[in-house]
Amino acid sequence: MIVSYNELTAVVNKAFLGMRRTCGEADIIANMVAGLQMVGLNGIGHFNNAAQFLTAEKDCPVDIFTTNDGGLVVDLHGCSLACHLPVVIDYAIEKMVNKKHLTIELKNCHNRWLAYNELVKLAAKGLACKAQWNNGSSPQNTLYILNQGCVSPELFLSDHLDLAGSALHDMTIQLSVKSFDITGYSAGYTRHIKSSELNRALRDTWHDGILVDDAEWETLKQTATALLVENSKQSLKGAGELAHSLR
Amino acid sequence: MDARPSICGGTYMRDPETVMAPARLGAMHQNRISFVRSLVRKMAQQNWQVTQHDWQLSPQGFGHVIYKLTTLEHVYHLVIFCDEIADEDRNDRVIAEKWDVTFALVYGDVDADLLGCLRANVPLQEAGRNPNKVLVLARANKSVRVFEHLVSHLAKGLQPNVKELAEVGYILRTTAVYGNGKFGISDFGWLESNDDFNQSFSAQMCAVYILREFSLDWIHYIANQQGGDKAVSLDVDLQRYLGIGNATGLGMAPYLINHPCVVDKWLSSRESALTAVLNSLVTGNKREPLQRLLQKALCHLDQIITINEQQQDLNTTAIVELDDLLNKLESVLLQISTWQELVDYSKQYSLETQEILLSCLMEINPDLVDSYETKMNCDESLNLPSGKRIEDLLAVLESRYRWAIDTDFKQPENNYWFWYRSQDKEEPRLGVRGEEPGEDRELPLDIGRQVYRLYHELLICKPNMQLAEFLVLHPQYRAISRRVWTLGNKDMGEIQMNVLHKTALPMHLLRCKLAVFGATKFDPRSERWVRVTFFQGAPLLNEIHDGEWLFPLLPTHSLNQAVAEGETS
Repeated sequence: MIVSYNELTAVVNKAFLGMRRTCGEADIIANMVAGLQMVGLNGIGHFNNAAQFLTAEKDCPVDIFTTNDGGLVVDLHGCSLACHLPVVIDYAIEKMVNKKHLTIELKNCHNRWLAYNELVKLAAKGLACKAQWNNGSSPQNTLYILNQGCVSPELFLSDHLDLAGSALHDMTIQLSVKSFDITGYSAGYTRHIKSSELNRALRDTWHDGILVDDAEWETLKQTATALLVENSKQSLKGAGELAHSLR
Repeated sequence: MDARPSICGGTYMRDPETVMAPARLGAMHQNRISFVRSLVRKMAQQNWQVTQHDWQLSPQGFGHVIYKLTTLEHVYHLVIFCDEIADEDRNDRVIAEKWDVTFALVYGDVDADLLGCLRANVPLQEAGRNPNKVLVLARANKSVRVFEHLVSHLAKGLQPNVKELAEVGYILRTTAVYGNGKFGISDFGWLESNDDFNQSFSAQMCAVYILREFSLDWIHYIANQQGGDKAVSLDVDLQRYLGIGNATGLGMAPYLINHPCVVDKWLSSRESALTAVLNSLVTGNKREPLQRLLQKALCHLDQIITINEQQQDLNTTAIVELDDLLNKLESVLLQISTWQELVDYSKQYSLETQEILLSCLMEINPDLVDSYETKMNCDESLNLPSGKRIEDLLAVLESRYRWAIDTDFKQPENNYWFWYRSQDKEEPRLGVRGEEPGEDRELPLDIGRQVYRLYHELLICKPNMQLAEFLVLHPQYRAISRRVWTLGNKDMGEIQMNVLHKTALPMHLLRCKLAVFGATKFDPRSERWVRVTFFQGAPLLNEIHDGEWLFPLLPTHSLNQAVAEGETS
């Protein structure tokens, strides 16, 4: 079915608020989901997947360590990246002062696809970004490169997963004041989703509405009902008494 | 202190503490850049055409009607469904499931397939799904008393009793006018590149304006069906006097809290327009128009019938004060040089009177005001820039959020209410903390309390600590920090109201939004919902012009004539 951007962000917002988490910003998470869905990358599915675990995850700040070469190692304690990435990126940008390059290693995190939209925002700050992660549950290597002046990233996927030495719950993000060598880094990946494809999908979606999977949409809407308070005598009186006799 | 340096041409602009005080927002009136006013001006200036495209009603007035709207570049259709419903199904609440009239404003042509789809979905409102070509989805109920009175009189060849019209002021009353992507319809994001409806709420206002024409066509059609040759048309001045009613509940209040940049933009654009007026010199040629408008406002208030005693008292006070101001106006104008001095003089009066004066001053200065009508849209993102420290955010809090940080949230009266969404169509509700269920699912509309908590957490940190570092340790404060930074650096910023306080009146928020839309005749039905009228006194579609129609009045000659005819009937 087709839904609107406003409808999608509103329902994700409610779904996240209903989880009563202290870490994570509902409006930003809603934009993460919508941003991913609008380019055809199943944002709702990724959020629904996250929602199964979010309420059981720890709800605490991340731990950040600085490496000898000035990079950052961030332990998310098994939490969703959606709840913590904006804070980490803010912190990393502060550490970029007088530097040309910074590596952030995110450890023990989930829902890495939801980083898509937050990383897109880096282009407006004049930074290039490269992100990589390996997924275990549906084995896949993913490479995300957003160079300066770009609206959408180049995405590279590979089904070949070298499990030896690969962390399946980590993500590496590199920030740079210079663009990355896309050809060099993408060697060995079997599938390329071009930036131009993503841009076209985004433009078409604004015009035609957002295509969603009916079942995924129903799941999302069901999650959002957790916020609602059951009817009571008092709530039925609610927003005002019945209309008076001016009919 | 009521003024501060502004970016507005080196002149002085009123302070946010004055402008954004809830009680003052709750006294606002329509002005030239209210959405209904800018829409009608645009329709007139660009000569938009509205025609009856399809009229498929039974003799009793049930079926569907389509109006065609032709603008400079595009074609739209307003598709209206009229259904027979039982009296007990006709109510003003969001949880209703049936309405006399449901309608949709559609981009482009409406073929049989699309009409079938709309027929199956538009009457269901929230329970339906609509295509992306729909820009606006809405519904309305009859004022049964006015409807039946008009039809019965016109069918017999008589004009109505004006008192019946004055008491209500409309034939149809909307209870929701949805836009921006609700229930599958088009996002505003798409409309932003459409020259016709790229201003906030302009598509919604246009749909309501055409509905007003339909409400008149509808009663004429049924009167003709019933009266045949005997039937007459409603006096044209009375047609003009009838607008479209609207019943609005608590739902508007969360909108204003959740869209703070929008509120800032609406109020700062109005304030910039007003600043241009207040800093201009008083000239003799403005005296008469101002007197006329103030007199009109006085009569308008006098003609408002409201069941709300508090609003009636406010109106009565304003009538007395406007009379006093009119008596002294000539001599006051001789002693002042700018309109600011007149506004300073008016501070002895109630907020209702002060706000009426502001709308009148804007009205008589279209050359200084009208250009601000296109400055009501905004980027809604809330951002924290890099490089900021705790002391930077504290400075913003201490200069722009005094209303919040000076509130003691340890006191029960400051935490009395909690906001939640009920299962009934997800309608927003207020519950009493500790007494009603739902506190565990409280909505984060408690901006004042969040600000207070942030402030006290910041106070125990080192002032030169980086804000980014603070937020790594306390990520729960990032959302409110983004808001404080963004709104604290805007001209008007936040509505300065603790919505949890025992005496907080959501009505102030409702009225502010409705005034920006361009509503008139505020008639609170309780502390939580209000009836207003749109397009009352506005030109009819066949005579559309961009002249003023502030403070609508019952037409005098029609009044005399209709009273006389009513007496003989």
